[in-house]
Amino acid sequence: MTVTEQRPAEIVPRQPASAGREGWIRRAPLLPALIFTIIVTQLPFLFTIYYSLQSWNLVRPGSAQFVGLDNYVKVFTDSQFRGVAVNTVVLTAGAVLISMVLGLAFALLLDRQFRGRGFVRTLLITPFLITPVAAALLWKTVLFDPTYGLINFVLSPFGAGQTDWISAFPLTSVMVALVWQWTPFMMLLTLAGLQSQPHDVLEAARVDGAGSFAIFREVTLPHLRRFIELGIVLGAIYLVNTFDAIYMMTQGGPGTASANLPFYIYQRAFLGFDIGQSAAMGVVVVIATIIVSTFALRLIFRSFQTEEG
Amino acid sequence: MADVVFDQASRVYTAGAKPAVNRLDLEIAEGEFVVLVGPSGSGKSTALRMLAGLEEIDDGEIRIGGRNMVGVPSRDRDIAMVFQNYALYPNKTVGDNMAFPLKMRGVDKATQQEKVRAAADILGLTDYLDRKPKALSGGQRQRVAMGRAIVREPQVFLMDEPLSNLDAKMRVSTRTEIAAMQRRLGVTTVYVTHDQVEAMTMGDRVALLADGKLQQFDTPADLYDKPANAFVAGFIGSPAMNLFTLPVSAEGVRIGSSELRLPREVQSRISGDRVTLGIRPEQWGVANGDGGASAGGVKAQVDVVEELGSDAYLYAHLDDDAQTAVVVRTAGRSGARRGDQIVLTPTSDELHLFDPESGDRL
Amino acid sequence: MAAPTTERPASTGDTRELAPARRGNRAGPALLTVLTWIVGIGFFFPILWMVLTAFKKEADAYTSPPSLFFTPTLEQFETVFSSGIGPYLLNSLFATVMSTVFVLLLAVPAAYAVSLRPVKKTQDVLFFFISTKMLPVVAAIVPIYVVVNNIGMLDNIWTLVVLYTAMNLPIAVWMMRSFFQEVPKELLEAASMDGASLWRSMREVVLPVVSPGIAATSLICVIFAWNEFFFAVNLTAATAATVPVFLVGFITSEGLYFAKLCAAATMCALPVVVAGWIAQNKLVQGLSFGAVK
Ligand SMILES: Nc1ncnc2c1ncn2[C@@H]1O[C@H](COP(=O)(O)OP(=O)(O)OP(=O)(O)O)[C@@H](O)[C@H]1O
Ligand SMILES: [Mg+2]
Repeated sequence: MTVTEQRPAEIVPRQPASAGREGWIRRAPLLPALIFTIIVTQLPFLFTIYYSLQSWNLVRPGSAQFVGLDNYVKVFTDSQFRGVAVNTVVLTAGAVLISMVLGLAFALLLDRQFRGRGFVRTLLITPFLITPVAAALLWKTVLFDPTYGLINFVLSPFGAGQTDWISAFPLTSVMVALVWQWTPFMMLLTLAGLQSQPHDVLEAARVDGAGSFAIFREVTLPHLRRFIELGIVLGAIYLVNTFDAIYMMTQGGPGTASANLPFYIYQRAFLGFDIGQSAAMGVVVVIATIIVSTFALRLIFRSFQTEEG
Repeated sequence: MADVVFDQASRVYTAGAKPAVNRLDLEIAEGEFVVLVGPSGSGKSTALRMLAGLEEIDDGEIRIGGRNMVGVPSRDRDIAMVFQNYALYPNKTVGDNMAFPLKMRGVDKATQQEKVRAAADILGLTDYLDRKPKALSGGQRQRVAMGRAIVREPQVFLMDEPLSNLDAKMRVSTRTEIAAMQRRLGVTTVYVTHDQVEAMTMGDRVALLADGKLQQFDTPADLYDKPANAFVAGFIGSPAMNLFTLPVSAEGVRIGSSELRLPREVQSRISGDRVTLGIRPEQWGVANGDGGASAGGVKAQVDVVEELGSDAYLYAHLDDDAQTAVVVRTAGRSGARRGDQIVLTPTSDELHLFDPESGDRL
Repeated sequence: MAAPTTERPASTGDTRELAPARRGNRAGPALLTVLTWIVGIGFFFPILWMVLTAFKKEADAYTSPPSLFFTPTLEQFETVFSSGIGPYLLNSLFATVMSTVFVLLLAVPAAYAVSLRPVKKTQDVLFFFISTKMLPVVAAIVPIYVVVNNIGMLDNIWTLVVLYTAMNLPIAVWMMRSFFQEVPKELLEAASMDGASLWRSMREVVLPVVSPGIAATSLICVIFAWNEFFFAVNLTAATAATVPVFLVGFITSEGLYFAKLCAAATMCALPVVVAGWIAQNKLVQGLSFGAVK
């Protein structure tokens, strides 16, 4: 007993002999991926910033010249750009939320024992696997076609007539196609969450007197929260970049009524050849995304913390 | 509080399979503490879950307070259950966990708080009410699970191996606490365990299941002293009862080459020419093997001595038949050693005889 | 009250076979099952219709109301093949397989480093990876185009390989990390006590445990790479274009003929759909970042 009292009161961890070298050995496997990612994904942004300060149109070779913040001024006075930004938010948020709600509902339906469950699940995930370009094409032609489309055929008893959905509701049409593709993804995630739920907790809730709805609200939903957050963040990451569906279905039209930022910038860069202007838009989008995504990152961060805790 | 009756209650998980609970009959009085015990897979949990409304009652009835429970959902049975892994709601605090059954029954907030506080007081959880279950030790989680059961003052408590995740010491102390709390609250309790010490110490009565069938339903003392069949005899008691199936002789039974005399009254109950004889380890008298080559004794050689302090267990094999093992309890520090020759004689009249075919007590 | 089993006179029910009860109202669950089937078929129906239409003659495809009965023909698929989908399929295959291989080569060691032998700032590195996914691709397309153009790599399949690798790498690191975290630390410790070198313990202890995770990650990389369109349409032309680009070109060259388009779209989507069907469980495991075992 007395021996311990002679030692210094505080015990500090001993430094491993070759901490530095050891650290590098441990870090080494990480480096190739890190360096590759920095080069391929970060460097272009530096160029983007550089280009955004230039007036440079590919159609006029040698036109590149430094113009300061001119491009940014144009971006912020461009009413089309603002409209397109709003479209992006509406499209992304709408598609993510609707597909999450539907996905959750489908997951609840699938989370029961019944005949043909595996088969129905297979049917339900297929839209997620379909190439987006093919899916958009499918919606544009086979489904939304005013004369021969299935939608109008199905709705004809209700007097839908020959509505040209894509012309009448371009943004909504695109959103419908996106929701169709992303609902399976949300369903898979929430189904995984449902199935990882411990049985005894559900049973305890039943014994404690909770009805099905109370169990869902008090026990299942809090458990699913992490999966729902993950689905929303991942869905948003991919849906913000939606390009294929707009390119195929509406070309952003009429006007810019159904264009989102990726499509608009693409138009400016590859159809308008206005490199400086589109680069400036890119920078603005990046800054906006950083603001939104720090929030989103915090969400993921929290859900993964609790998972490990 | 209410009485609980299992009336031919049965559960079959898959059509055609052996029933997990096979025509179980139990009459549990109001306020009684009944323990369901049995080997793994014997249907204890299934029986309890049928009572809880978590498993279908495929045949027969279960009645709580005279009301038939077939088709009645869990939440309308007025029961509370403690699960083996506690099944606490991970996203709720300790307090909210305990308040949940009250909340589900529409009890107002103030009363909820009051009852949770009272239960937390009893269980020593007052300081932890705002924590999440993750931040508790195993023993504390167990208490929360208990608390969640008692706040509601249900008709019946159900517990499925609630102590199996605790360390040995906690298990013993919590065992006593649960038993004491049950006596105080006077709520009818059905308790599942595979630990016979728990069964014997906690229950007013113990129901022993094997293969989904009830073997015996009795007080712990009767279960020990008057096992209804060889299975019960072998299951209850540690170390287990010595069971030998032996040929019957004129005055007793033969073990190897020696003859074991049985009291007349015992002898008279044997009908066939073979019988299963059960002798508890403490029912042997031990003599040193060199001294008395006395008639009626069984010669054996000691293989292992387990010295426990207050007693010692001798594990031996018979001289005549090395395959037959026998366990003997003696006083502690008897000085027996491995390799010793001993002579064993039954000291009690309370020997157990069973039909070698059916296993039933004779 | 000993042995109550025998107390009751052999009850009338004793000879009856016990069977699980079919009690209570079963209409609710049955209704839900029907609803689930309807939802499943409803969601799948557009795809079914696409495949059916691909086997129609153009005249059968243009009927109002749509016709369910027709004589199937391979005519449309023949048109698709004769209009030269072959090289596009090969390009897609090459870009998909190569980028997935590269992703795994980079992501597996990286995930290993951040999970099994974590160094300081591990979390930061992880969030750096995922944050690159959050930056919109479109903001990078201009400089990428300019650079690729300047180094003469436009319309080169390797450009796509590199970009697809970068595109899938962050997700792959996250997925692989979640699988590595399931490897019990004791396993590695035991291996090192048994005298295995780092490389050996990686190869013989860790890899077998995480190989289902590698399969799941590859599947998801394959899906995203095969289906990618934005880079492909902007950076390739005749030689390096992939199947989605072919599909778009096909519309331009063939016009909006339903049956032909459906045949082309079916060809385009088929490989990934089949792969996803076969490896459904992997899909779930990967997408839930290992939250599902
Ligand atoms: N959900 C189920 N489906 C099919 N069979 C089951 C199911 N649950 C239990 N069984 C079977 O029913 C029998 C009784 O199981 P039960 O869980 O009641 O045993 P137990 O006595 O509680 O055992 P333990 O002490 O191991 O918990 C076992 O043979 C078991 O395999
Ligand atoms: Mg059990």
